[in-house]
Amino acid sequence: MTFTVAVVSAGLSQPSSTRLLADRLSAAVVDRLRSAGQDGLVEVVELRPLAHALADNLVTGFPNPELEAAVSTVVDADALLTVTPVFTASYSGLFKMFFDVLDKDALVGKPTLIGATAGTARHSLVLEHALRPLFSYLRAVVVPTAVFAATEDFGDTTASPLAARIDRAAGELVDLLVPRAGGALRRTSSGKSDPFEDVVPFEELLRGGQ
Amino acid sequence: MQFGIFTVGDVTTDPTTGRTPTEHERIKATVAIAKKAEEVGLDVFATGEHHNPPFVASAPTTTLAYIGAQTERIVLSTATTLITTTDPVLIAENYAKLQHLTDGRVDLMMGRGNTGPVYPWFGKDIRQGIPLAVENYALLHRLWREDVVDWEGKFRTPLQGFTSTPRPLDGVPPFVWHGSIRSPEIAEQAAYYGDGFFHNHIFWPASHTQRMVALYRRRFEHYGHGSADQAIVGLGGQVFMRKNSQDAVREFRPYFDNAPVYGHGPSLEDFSEMTPLTVGSPQQVIERTLGFREYVGDYQRQLFLMDHAGLPLKTVLEQLDILGEEVVPVLRREYAALKPAHVPDAPTHASLVAAAAASRTHTSPSHAATPADTGEDVRPQGLLEEQHR
Repeated sequence: MTFTVAVVSAGLSQPSSTRLLADRLSAAVVDRLRSAGQDGLVEVVELRPLAHALADNLVTGFPNPELEAAVSTVVDADALLTVTPVFTASYSGLFKMFFDVLDKDALVGKPTLIGATAGTARHSLVLEHALRPLFSYLRAVVVPTAVFAATEDFGDTTASPLAARIDRAAGELVDLLVPRAGGALRRTSSGKSDPFEDVVPFEELLRGGQ
Repeated sequence: MQFGIFTVGDVTTDPTTGRTPTEHERIKATVAIAKKAEEVGLDVFATGEHHNPPFVASAPTTTLAYIGAQTERIVLSTATTLITTTDPVLIAENYAKLQHLTDGRVDLMMGRGNTGPVYPWFGKDIRQGIPLAVENYALLHRLWREDVVDWEGKFRTPLQGFTSTPRPLDGVPPFVWHGSIRSPEIAEQAAYYGDGFFHNHIFWPASHTQRMVALYRRRFEHYGHGSADQAIVGLGGQVFMRKNSQDAVREFRPYFDNAPVYGHGPSLEDFSEMTPLTVGSPQQVIERTLGFREYVGDYQRQLFLMDHAGLPLKTVLEQLDILGEEVVPVLRREYAALKPAHVPDAPTHASLVAAAAASRTHTSPSHAATPADTGEDVRPQGLLEEQHR
């Protein structure tokens, strides 16, 4: 079966690190779906070209055809993956406007992965203190791992903690779509590794690994 | 087919001069506009009802009676009467009195009102908007049809042996339309009673109007008032005209850009494409308006919003001249040629009196007391009343 994944990206620059993170997340979700014997279809909704339409919708109360199509893409998708830049200690205004124009029941039960980007990792809890409550209000089902990427995270692409977080979050999302025994969600709760059995080799500790 | 105008009674600064009319000027202008509507051959003048600034549209029956005394032919209506916050007993009395004074030139459009703070001023709560509209109208409906009413509800003091006076003219209550932009319950309510359904039409895309009207028509037939295409439908419209369409756009744009409802949002061009707003030549208005029946079917009443957003009185009167002389005569001819014979006209006092006389000789029940649900995804009106009784 093919699962559609709507990707909502609120990045503003071109190219944007927000979109970059969204692309890495969606690629990881498609990989995980493939490992589970399924297909993934990614549909990207960039909010920047919808900025005028969103403001108009706030004024008139109804979406123009382009915005209506974007809303349908999100509402009809099997899963939602959404990434915002951090502006002034929270999600960006543009990001919030998109979710403001959705019907309050539009995302009920929707498997959702949230992500955010910022210049510094000091903003990382924006995901837990701003995005997660927003989607809880909308009664979306948000996976436990929220993915934050600071500028420094984009420096190291191999074996970086960011790559591990992306993969874990993607696994959690796919577990909601294709439930299976011993999936990522279960592993995180019951499959905890035993530090006395799976000892971290000292050479790895010397390299800074944990 | 009836053609007319509706006003919300807003006091708005003219953005081209910076001048704001006084309340007195706006109230007098409303009367001048209504009289002009009759003079240019329109059929209906409808006023809004608001109880907060920047509107001067409170006390609608006072305005309508004053206009009624200075006109001969035009039907006086509302757009809308606040069925939620107004005591249905007062509505019954006021509009029956107006009906007598104007020899039956009255009908009403029920609406809820969407301004939360207004409700508590009248002891109500906007969160109860739909239940208020349902219960209050059920009472109003009885007050006009039963000489003595015993009644108990959730929102108002009970009535014991109450007779609303004066009784409706010739024993026939004013025809009622129900107006709603987005609530399926109100389309359902209009269908249940076999009343008219009016869609504002001008603030939302046509696809939405189409869905609401289709629901009303389907349920009208379900409740046994006739076939779906015989249901009584009214639409709003919004136009600004000059002989040369470029002149119309140039003159109207500042009013559009600063309009209270949609100003500072989409461009005039985008809004014209998404909604029925037509700014251009009389011919463009004729063509656009004729297109409405393609998505709502043959309908009975077309009202235009002509006097809002700070347009000066002189301009509004010029617009009414163009509407009455160049647009409506053509529309009347075209709609008459297109309408099938089995589709009724909008009810008038005369037609309702004739229908009442006919039904007294046949004694046919209008509809069952509690019609069965067919399993469609609307809560039947009977159920809505049951819940809020």
